[in-house]
Amino acid sequence: MRVKVMPATGLVWFSIALLLLARGEARAQTAEMKFQAFLLWGTNEGKPPEGKPYKPIEAGIKEKLKDLPLKWTNWFEVNRVTFGAPLGLTKEVPISEKCHLKVKKLAGRELEVSLIGKGKEVVKRTQALPKGEVLVLGGNAPNATAWLVVMRRLD
Amino acid sequence: MDNEVELKLQALLDGELPTAEANDVTSLLARDRAAAALVEELRHTRAALAGFEAEVRLPESRDFFWSKIERDIRRLERPARQPVASLPLALLRRFLVPASALAVVIGAGVVLLRPSGPSGLTPAAEIETAVADSGAFTYRDYSAGTTLVWVSYPADNEVAQDDEMGTVE
Repeated sequence: MRVKVMPATGLVWFSIALLLLARGEARAQTAEMKFQAFLLWGTNEGKPPEGKPYKPIEAGIKEKLKDLPLKWTNWFEVNRVTFGAPLGLTKEVPISEKCHLKVKKLAGRELEVSLIGKGKEVVKRTQALPKGEVLVLGGNAPNATAWLVVMRRLD
Repeated sequence: MDNEVELKLQALLDGELPTAEANDVTSLLARDRAAAALVEELRHTRAALAGFEAEVRLPESRDFFWSKIERDIRRLERPARQPVASLPLALLRRFLVPASALAVVIGAGVVLLRPSGPSGLTPAAEIETAVADSGAFTYRDYSAGTTLVWVSYPADNEVAQDDEMGTVE
């Protein structure tokens, strides 16, 4: 039986392409991920409290919050932090004077995100956070207002 | 001058007429100036064509030229020899092709059929651990790509009135 060269060559090229794809994905998984975290304050009032330099939130974040079952209509940006999360290391990201995030990039696409308030772990969550998606941690604040920590991936 | 006379003049010039007929045509030439002029013109034409006949010269000897042609003919008539692969190599190839195909199918299956949720994460990858807050709940909007984790911490009655907005107690 004569072995045809063309099908075998095609298989080799297809295998090489698959290997390159897999390698590219593996490299992307090991690279440092960039994130942005926003501390937001929510109210039904039209403006932030007196003396607080809170800014209106970005349109993209506003769009994301619009679909969430939250009763507050107006959200203001209190703080914003941009940070990177290398594989396997826990990154501590200060959000305010009393709270910070702990972000650890796990193997694969998952992240471990912990919210620490006054030294206590309030919540810990493990999930993937692809670009375009957001993770929102929130709770009630004084005077029928609310706080949110919105985290999104930059690249 | 009719056509038959013209043909006879041409035949005389080519030496194709019998002797008696040739003598008759020759005597005609002596009498007829038009016939003599036609024979003269034909003679010039033949001389001109003979002078311009192309001469083909071979770049090599005649014997060598024909021997080349003979060799080419024999080469073309000989059936093409089939390459005979060695037995181990043939067996290896017979094994490699299906094995490669199988490996490619398995690889593609692993890459493409990896279980994933709407956002590309495995069902087991989404794990939440609420610490010190049994009242936490999670809302997930797959279409918007948004996950909300709402915690009841700090409880309303634990918040001091002078707490700064946007802080977590």
